[in-house]
Amino acid sequence: MRKQFRDTIMDLSAHDEKIVMILGDVSVYLFNEFKQKYPDRFYNMGICENTLISVAAGLSSHGFYPFVHTIAPFITERSYEQIKLDMCYNKFGGNIVSCGASFDYAWDGATHHCYTDLGILRMLPHIEVIQPGSRKEVDVLIRSQYNNGKTTYFRLSDHPHDIDIPVEFGKGVVLKNANANVTVMTAGPILGNVVEACRDLDVNLIYFHTIKPVDKATISMFKDTQILVIHDAFGLYEAVCEVPGLSVSYHGMPDEFCCWYGQLTEVREKIGLDVKSIRQAVHQKLQTPQRR
Amino acid sequence: MIPVLKEIRSDILRISKTSGHGHIPTCFSVVEILYAIYDTINHDPNNPIWEDRDIFILSKGHAALAHYCILAKFGYFDIKAVDSFGAFMSDFGCHADRLKIPGIEASTGALGHGIGIAVGMALALKIKKSHRRVFVLIGDGEANEGSVWEAIMVAVDLKLSNLTIVYDNNMSHLRGLQIHNSADRFRAFGCDVVVVDGHSVKEIKNEMNKTSDKVRLIVANTKKGYGCKTLIKNQYEWHRKSPDEKEFDLLMVELDEETV
Repeated sequence: MRKQFRDTIMDLSAHDEKIVMILGDVSVYLFNEFKQKYPDRFYNMGICENTLISVAAGLSSHGFYPFVHTIAPFITERSYEQIKLDMCYNKFGGNIVSCGASFDYAWDGATHHCYTDLGILRMLPHIEVIQPGSRKEVDVLIRSQYNNGKTTYFRLSDHPHDIDIPVEFGKGVVLKNANANVTVMTAGPILGNVVEACRDLDVNLIYFHTIKPVDKATISMFKDTQILVIHDAFGLYEAVCEVPGLSVSYHGMPDEFCCWYGQLTEVREKIGLDVKSIRQAVHQKLQTPQRR
Repeated sequence: MIPVLKEIRSDILRISKTSGHGHIPTCFSVVEILYAIYDTINHDPNNPIWEDRDIFILSKGHAALAHYCILAKFGYFDIKAVDSFGAFMSDFGCHADRLKIPGIEASTGALGHGIGIAVGMALALKIKKSHRRVFVLIGDGEANEGSVWEAIMVAVDLKLSNLTIVYDNNMSHLRGLQIHNSADRFRAFGCDVVVVDGHSVKEIKNEMNKTSDKVRLIVANTKKGYGCKTLIKNQYEWHRKSPDEKEFDLLMVELDEETV
């Protein structure tokens, strides 16, 4: 996804002189071509995430479209007040593009895990929260949102799914409507595991790349079913629950720090987000008493 | 004290008395600084978003009442409008909202934010090769925030010679984390540092007009409550206190007599 991010930026920058890259000492080599072509709009500003956001707000106030890019926990959790005040409250919009969220850096332990970003950012006014799951989603959603004057958070992953789906900002995608009693809702790269787990199960399957604004109309289509949100982060479940009158449960993050190191697949297996565990969770949901 | 500075201070006292809001001592410490800034920078009260204007940000947002009174004095709006200071549905909150008040470039209040935004604005103007300048006023208490020092490091690294930081050294820092030898610290960070009497409009203006190839940093030595000896002597008590009628009368007499 990061390569797609780079490719999209390079393409947009050929026609837009207002794009400014602000890196927090991450992906510096990846953006070498941008640096060579547009040296006055490329800044590896260092490991100072609070200031990266404040500077982006200042750039935005003078008409630029900043892209702040660094590792997810540091640019969201550490810099939450800067995002809240300098960007959202001041309405100095800009783009925040993270990498390494959830357990992409599983081996680095709890300091580098980030699963609250979507949940905390979606609570702020004047922000869009996007979790692309594939390269195509990265490309389409950056192009459609980067210059709209709002603060937009893009959460990139090194482990995209490979499912080709239609992409339109703010629109949920009905991947399967079997008129079933159970509806699985998910977002981002974990879709790959969810699709495989549910392949032959009698469930509806809905996918979101946009966490805020969440597509309430699509959610409401399944209001009479038992909804199971499967997500390797917080944020989607809370967004779905904003639709009144639903019966929703959540399968995802445990209430503990995931200090087991290893690989993404190993952490996902440990917390029940591998294909087998997801399938068990859906099976269990299918066996609970139905609403209709 | 030149008459206009007394008038501004009396506006602050009067509005604080009637509204029950305001940080008077910190407002009084920056009156000369704010007056010098608006008397120096390129700006147009009749067109607050004039595209050739210089930028000023009050990073120490607690002094918003002083900022309002200065803006009114320079013609951005009538001082009577500020009478609603802090009231429900007023445009004039105890911390300024840039979307409501003409002349406010950034909404501040949480300390250590305005300076970072100012760095971004200065960078934007540098990219545009603009001659416009950016001025930001920070407090010594505010400089307890790590984000202040982050922002200064970035500004120095980016060689933002169009940025001038004014440091209100009103000794608020003595209450908690103390920052002694502040000029030496800023110099060590790579700024072009000067120290002035923060209650001398002439000295401040003289330094504001100078340019440098570095980030400029003006350490303005001030007193909290400057103008009224009661405020200076009892600054902890008066940190966020509004005067009643009797106290107001006393402070006005002290102000008139310049009991600094």
